[in-house]
Amino acid sequence: MRWFKFNPIRLNPITRRRWSRFRSIKRGYFSALLLGVLIVISLSAELLVSNRALIVHYQGHWYFPTYGAVLSGKTFGLDYDYETDYKALQQIFAQNKSVGDWLLMPPIPYSAYETDLAGNDFPPLAPSLRHWLGTDTTGRDVAARLLYGFRIAIAFSVALLLFEYLIGISIGCLMGYWGGVFDLIFQRLIEVWSNIPTLYVIMIVASIVPPGFWTLLLIMIAFSWTNMTWYMRTASYRENTRDYVLAARAIGASGPRIIFRHILPNSISTVVTFVPFSVAAGVTALTALDYLGFGLPAPTPSWGELLKQGTDNLESPWIVSSVVIAMTLVLMLVTFIGEAIREAFDPKTFRIYE
Amino acid sequence: MTGYFLRRLLLIIPTFIGITLLVFAITRVVPGGPIERMMTQAALQQGDQRAARTRSGNTLDEKQLAQLRAYYGFDKPLLSSYGQWLWRVLHLDLGNSTRYHDPVWSLIKERFPVSIFYGITTLLITYGICIPLGMAKAVRHGSWFDNVSSIAVFFGYAVPGYVVGIALITIFASQLDWFPLGGFVDDDFDTYSFGKKIIDLLYHAALPLTAYLASSFALTTLMMKNALMDNLATDYMRTAIAKGQSFDGAVRHHALRNSLIPIATSFGNNISLLLGGSFLIETIFNIDGIGLLGFESVLERDYPVVMGILVISALLFLLGNILSDICVALVDPRIRFGET
Repeated sequence: MRWFKFNPIRLNPITRRRWSRFRSIKRGYFSALLLGVLIVISLSAELLVSNRALIVHYQGHWYFPTYGAVLSGKTFGLDYDYETDYKALQQIFAQNKSVGDWLLMPPIPYSAYETDLAGNDFPPLAPSLRHWLGTDTTGRDVAARLLYGFRIAIAFSVALLLFEYLIGISIGCLMGYWGGVFDLIFQRLIEVWSNIPTLYVIMIVASIVPPGFWTLLLIMIAFSWTNMTWYMRTASYRENTRDYVLAARAIGASGPRIIFRHILPNSISTVVTFVPFSVAAGVTALTALDYLGFGLPAPTPSWGELLKQGTDNLESPWIVSSVVIAMTLVLMLVTFIGEAIREAFDPKTFRIYE
Repeated sequence: MTGYFLRRLLLIIPTFIGITLLVFAITRVVPGGPIERMMTQAALQQGDQRAARTRSGNTLDEKQLAQLRAYYGFDKPLLSSYGQWLWRVLHLDLGNSTRYHDPVWSLIKERFPVSIFYGITTLLITYGICIPLGMAKAVRHGSWFDNVSSIAVFFGYAVPGYVVGIALITIFASQLDWFPLGGFVDDDFDTYSFGKKIIDLLYHAALPLTAYLASSFALTTLMMKNALMDNLATDYMRTAIAKGQSFDGAVRHHALRNSLIPIATSFGNNISLLLGGSFLIETIFNIDGIGLLGFESVLERDYPVVMGILVISALLFLLGNILSDICVALVDPRIRFGET
């Protein structure tokens, strides 16, 4: 008796053809690779940008402080209980070379929250070997804040996208499947909802409840779930009248079975073409809110907050230019991917008759 | 079809009520509304800093407070004060700003010229450039001209207008000092001669206009190009050319009109851009238009102004949607709304 059937992941031929078409569109494919690399880098940001050392070799012991608990100064024979200042420790180690202790700092040895008041100059400091992209107005490393800000922005827009699509697809699918009064009520509701000037209302709500990551996400979901409903409604409406659904119903398939086995698999694949544009929209909206001061709370590294600092201090152009270039790069990559996916799903046979 | 559009017009009413009721309810449950603000102000005027900070010192006596509450409808439950507000709106009275103490309508009206100027110029330039450019790109798909212009189009498509605005102000206003940092016109604009007025206006408008154009231009060009490319590959184009019509003539007479349909579907959205503007771009360039007014009133919790702007922008948006449908019906004779 076989308890389970071995079921290898078999992509259906259409998906496989779309994938190979996507790969053949070089611009989109390489953008996807590059964006993937950027996301992996940002996920392991602690290894590149941090004020904690990567490796410490102290009195024959090995320490890896990057992840894990805070190591107090006492661990390394210093006279304080708070977290070790690894940059100072590095200098101490360097002074008595004979002992053989050493530590390795990440390429950018500053955290995104750390104020570095190096020298006698007032921040913001221009780019130098010490701070590759300079510092912001409170002396925090721009490169560090840029990378961590990217991670938060991408995480935010992916989370937004997941919830938005989950709600939008469910409701849109039910609207198309059930039709009737349910459809009518939700149509009116969504019409009202999607006519609300979203950013304006989010500003009003955020001015009342100063939001954190999750509350801001919740507010944004509340006002953007409608985007997907219209598309899914039409798609499931169309599938619902097809013969195979009628056939399934005729042999007595239940409602959930029809939805999950027949309608959804046949209508959901095209949703992929919207994903990159939703990611771009999420990043853009979060940055705009942060720029206006209605976004994530103050010390959180964010592109919008850097933009705001930059426009307030136009005489320090390195702040603005780093963010603008980073944002342009990421959004261009996302758009190229989006265009390539769209093209892979809908190959245009372009020709001219002459 | 007239019946259909009449029904659409009537449907504006429930949608409008839904939108305004929602925002009205939000502004009502919010702490730090106009009453608290006025109390703080009154406290500040009396020099009682401590009361202002804690907001607990009752510097206004109970009678004044009650008067204020009655004026803003805070003494009644949500629905009845919403009804009161709606009744006043129906009589074209948007109330008074809590910040300037001026009628909201006159505050908005003052800023119309600014927003209309940007709206109309953006509209004209967008359609003036995008339709020919999109056509040229579609006909010469794959040529160097198409590829080079695609870079600009993709840039504008990917990067939001406000980021373009920030980049422009950094490069051209701050670093190169070619253009002013912001504002709509010079302070002593009124004393200028007519010619100088126009030059001053354009001088100030160059950067914000580019930022506005960057986003709308890219979208429309792409739409035009894709639509025309679809139509160039159709059977009716083959027929037209097979019966001896020139390629240019076939594009002009057959493909072009069909390609305008997707553009027509978004035409109505221009009407809200025409008056609303973008508060992001207006904030960046410090242009005193309706967008900036809305942003500042949210910051200052000036709810009569917030609601007033919402009324106008919601109405424009809803009318714009209907206008889009009318445009589609005009361009595409196959579409018969409401006849299924």
